[in-house]
Amino acid sequence: MSDYIVLVKQVPDVSQITDNAFDPETGTLVRSRLANVVNELDAQALAFARYMKQISGDAKARIIALTMGPPMAEEVLRYSLARAADQVVLLTDRALGGADTWATANPLAYAIRRIVKEILHCGDDYFVVAGMQSVDGDTAQVPGQIAEELQLPCIAYATGAEYKKKRFEFTRIISGGSQTVATRKMPAVITVAKYEYPLFATFAGTRWANKVDVVKWGADDINATHIGAKGSKTAVIRVFPPGKSTRKCQEVKDVKSLAKIIVESFKSGNGEGGKADEGPGPYVLPARRKSLLERPYEATKKEQDDYDILTAILKEMEIADAAKLDDATKDKVVEKAGGAFHKKALEDMIGGFGLVEPAFKGEVWVVAEHSGDGVIHPATFELTGKARELADSLETKVGVCIAGDNVAHMAEELIAAGADHIYAIEHKLLKEFDPTAYRKAVSDAIDKYVPQIVLYAATPQGRMLAPMVSYKTGCGLTADCTGLDIRDSSRKGDIGLLLQTRPALGGNVMATIRTKNSKSQMATARPGVMKRIPADPKRKGKVIKHKVELTDEDVSLDIIRTELGSGQVNFGAEAIVSGGKGMQSRDGFDRLLHMLCAEMSRKLDTAVEYGASRAAVEQGFVERVHQVGQTGTAVGPKLYVAIGISGAIQHMIGVANTETIVAINSDPNAPIFRQCDYYIVGTAEDVVPDLVQALDNM
Amino acid sequence: MPNNSEYNKVSVLVVGAGPAGLATAIQLRVLRPDIDVCVIDKALDLGNHNLSGAVLEKEPLHSLLDAAKPDWRETPEAKDVLANVIDKDDIMFLLGKKMSFNIFWALKMARSMGIGWGQMIHHGDYSLSISKLTKWLGSIAREKGVEVLTGFAADHVVLDGAGTAAGVKLIDQGVNKEGHKQPNYVEGETIEATFVVLAEGCDGLVTERFVEAAGLKRESHQLYSLGVKELIKVTPEQYANFSRGRVVHAMGYPIWTPVIGPGMFGGGIVYAGAEDNLAVGMIVGLDWKYRNFNAQDALVRLKEHRYIKPFIEGGTVVEAGAKMIPEGGWYAVPRDPHTGSIGKGNVMILGDSAGFVNMLKIKGLHNAIDSGIQAARAIVTCMDKPEGAARRYTDNVESSNIAKEMKIAKNSRHTIAKFGPLQGMPLSVLGGWLPKFKVEPDYEMMTTAPYRLKPNQNFDKDTFTAVAATAHREEEPSHLTILDRTICETKCTPVYGSPCITFCPAGVYETIHGEVKPANPSNCLHCKTCQRKCPFDNIRWTAPEGGGGPRYKRM
Repeated sequence: MSDYIVLVKQVPDVSQITDNAFDPETGTLVRSRLANVVNELDAQALAFARYMKQISGDAKARIIALTMGPPMAEEVLRYSLARAADQVVLLTDRALGGADTWATANPLAYAIRRIVKEILHCGDDYFVVAGMQSVDGDTAQVPGQIAEELQLPCIAYATGAEYKKKRFEFTRIISGGSQTVATRKMPAVITVAKYEYPLFATFAGTRWANKVDVVKWGADDINATHIGAKGSKTAVIRVFPPGKSTRKCQEVKDVKSLAKIIVESFKSGNGEGGKADEGPGPYVLPARRKSLLERPYEATKKEQDDYDILTAILKEMEIADAAKLDDATKDKVVEKAGGAFHKKALEDMIGGFGLVEPAFKGEVWVVAEHSGDGVIHPATFELTGKARELADSLETKVGVCIAGDNVAHMAEELIAAGADHIYAIEHKLLKEFDPTAYRKAVSDAIDKYVPQIVLYAATPQGRMLAPMVSYKTGCGLTADCTGLDIRDSSRKGDIGLLLQTRPALGGNVMATIRTKNSKSQMATARPGVMKRIPADPKRKGKVIKHKVELTDEDVSLDIIRTELGSGQVNFGAEAIVSGGKGMQSRDGFDRLLHMLCAEMSRKLDTAVEYGASRAAVEQGFVERVHQVGQTGTAVGPKLYVAIGISGAIQHMIGVANTETIVAINSDPNAPIFRQCDYYIVGTAEDVVPDLVQALDNM
Repeated sequence: MPNNSEYNKVSVLVVGAGPAGLATAIQLRVLRPDIDVCVIDKALDLGNHNLSGAVLEKEPLHSLLDAAKPDWRETPEAKDVLANVIDKDDIMFLLGKKMSFNIFWALKMARSMGIGWGQMIHHGDYSLSISKLTKWLGSIAREKGVEVLTGFAADHVVLDGAGTAAGVKLIDQGVNKEGHKQPNYVEGETIEATFVVLAEGCDGLVTERFVEAAGLKRESHQLYSLGVKELIKVTPEQYANFSRGRVVHAMGYPIWTPVIGPGMFGGGIVYAGAEDNLAVGMIVGLDWKYRNFNAQDALVRLKEHRYIKPFIEGGTVVEAGAKMIPEGGWYAVPRDPHTGSIGKGNVMILGDSAGFVNMLKIKGLHNAIDSGIQAARAIVTCMDKPEGAARRYTDNVESSNIAKEMKIAKNSRHTIAKFGPLQGMPLSVLGGWLPKFKVEPDYEMMTTAPYRLKPNQNFDKDTFTAVAATAHREEEPSHLTILDRTICETKCTPVYGSPCITFCPAGVYETIHGEVKPANPSNCLHCKTCQRKCPFDNIRWTAPEGGGGPRYKRM
């Protein structure tokens, strides 16, 4: 019989952000002003665990809920008790606070060990079940890192389970499709991407849950090795509000112009994407600057401002060599700075002037993703483009690490896309993506060549592999970045750091993060944000074959079935066409939307998904899985075409992250015209066929 | 996991965690800390389904708090929730879009002459957020050992053979739109209780079902009003200009103009909230006769009136909501025809569920709290004979201030319902001296007449429900039912043009393929106007899964 340890997290309710939750000074969302709720995916994980228990017919299986957090996180444990959990453990200690994913996974893994030993006494027969990611952090890193610490197989992004021949078969999301797998070994970690039936509390269960004594463990009770801010391998250095995109609201008079706009805005994009504010241009190493006094690339605004003040003062005082300042002059400088910094800070800053060498050495790497039959994932090319820019600034090489059964032939394409060195890891056991085997192969190469930066695509595969590799190699990792820049923190003695900027709290704040206590700086980058560079077939590069020892033991999963590109909804598509009530009928919806999707897909050379407003779903034009918006799926493509959609706020919230919104509506007063970039007045029946024609003629 | 038989039993079960229900629970634990009491509420969290102006008379709340928490005045919650004490009372008469007259002097005169309407002076009362008050009372109740459980929706009172209540049945959860059980289906539990306290608020589902099942009667139909309210963030200057101790009540435009109409009962309010927020609301008697009238439309007009506009101009709506008010008064309190008890046996009906709103004061919150205190006292004296609780409670109410003031006000709303605002208003000052008038239920007053003013273009129900933060599980069955479709098709749509589509403040009703449907039940604000204003009494509201509905925080 298997037991279940379910990881639950208390998160701020980002679906209910009230006007008073923002700091009036900085405009930043203040987490403590939001209500606390159980992370929705963890609620689904709890239900998933109970479902596994049910289908295996094992009435005696126990479900233990575990959380780490402040004392009030007890609420999510009581939530679990009221629904399915038999016992709960709260990991709470000030020493555990301020942790990144590394220092979260580590103590949780130690707590799991103790639960297995002292509460379950179940040996190896248990599953750790967790939501795929939390809504506040959105990293999806902790379960994979726990699996790595405990040396367990990890099945990420599960959406279903069946119990066959005395073992579980899991359906899970993979890049571009789904897959059915089973674990070869127990115990195992399962992360749940979607389970539609979260449990209801019962009255009796709730009353009981409120009376249960919660087991509370502190840091000393688990003896974890990496805890709190100290044990973390990343640090947040800046939090700021996302750039408010302002929609253009331009009316377009004819379909020809509209066709042109669709193609052009898709190709160029608005370029918003929540990036950090404009910096001083491409990074230049200190040694290449005209003077060592030039410090235009400091990591935070405060650091930058202080250096700007200091260099201005030095210039005014005509001091060329800051290192030789005597005490009296230092006092004078501090006085001139008018309280901007004190003497100790000044000395640190002066120390910074002497720095030339970057904090990290080595190449800039990209871990490539491919389909197994020779097709490289488009996101990999975006990363090589970014890696090229970073490597040029840092005056180093771009390496691409590619693992598989037979991969060396893909080197040419990668070199043309900007790579200098291709690290090809070939082994027959790497034919299919197995997280444990791939993790071993990639970490092995990283350990040997020690790149200073490692980038992964934030695809299902990349977000599964990266946490395991980062944990195995002892490096910090930042998830789903939308901005990657090289900066200095001269005052702290660090030159040439990779600053990783990403959205958090459901996209309501942006955070800039740096790596620490690591030999490499690792990040996954959101597909579609970084720009690929035009392929240059004349570029030269080198293929380096890296040998890795793998045995059957290293493969953790049996892949039973893989289904690619089936009838699933791919809201990660770069272009989405949605229909609303204005489509009039199911027939019209199908015909017009498919016509436009097909033509756009051809013209833009990308997958185009179709979506729907709530009203269209209610009218029965299309299945609910296609619903976009607050109650459906929130999407953020490069291009969103809304046809016959009025623009109710619930719908528009769900498309807020879109770069360009194009609206077609017959009502000249439709609210969507005030919330889009381009619009044309007309019925779907009139506009769409002409638009398809116009696109075709281009 | 728990042993259900043990946890499904409780001495006192209170349905509804509003001011009345929580007052019962708190007072009970003050009197008898050994009695176990559970309060359940369908809202996701405390205060989420509470909406009122609100003006609260100090007295019953103070005596409750003094008993339960002697140091309450020093708590941060008291300083926050009870920060606004009314020191400026403006009663405005609005004539057309621009003119306004302050008629406070008339009320003062009425007061000095001892005429009923003089009671409408609110000086010294609190103006507060009922959501915040409820949240605070809930936390006090928990401190006193009360189990306050939110997210549980009750379905009906379970009666035993002898006619007393055995307990309360909760609703089933985890059913899909087609009515099939999902893998997470949970059958509604039956909670056994020695005493059942119904404190659900206006037009409570469990209460109304109990009234019918237990054969309780009202001397006169309950009459309702619909209140719609927006909380608007204004500039600190605007807020200071308005001043936090001020309340504005506005009669007249846009719902009533002497002689030429429209002739609806009600009025507008502007109260100060906290943090530079002003609450603006419109309350309209449900006996309106216009088939295409919508209360939010009237609210928009009120906001644009020259007197009101400067208070809120340029502000942002940060929260909004809608709720009904029971205005029928003393004649509309449901009672056992034999004993006169408000409730029956071991079941007591409180607050807005009973209808303790005093229409001369246009306040009911103080009576709701008072009724909670009276219920607690009744339970304590009837511990050995639970079946006598409702009678004891009724005796307590009859000898309390509730009965005293409700009797004086008993005819005021009826007079207006009977004679219309123009003649009714002055007549109603005669108050208790008038005979009881026979009035019809609100829905029967609907006519084919259109509202005289052109409907507003710039009002969006979706935005309104979004700031009300309302949500229900999309896949659950609709909790709103149209009883007989053919009535819509043959009698309502062709004659009245489906008024539900217009009056529902949440835009729940829509025509789909030519058929009027509760198409968007997930937008519902639980105001229940539809089941009281459908001209054919053809809509029924039932409780959706617990946790659904609006999430008011500052209303």
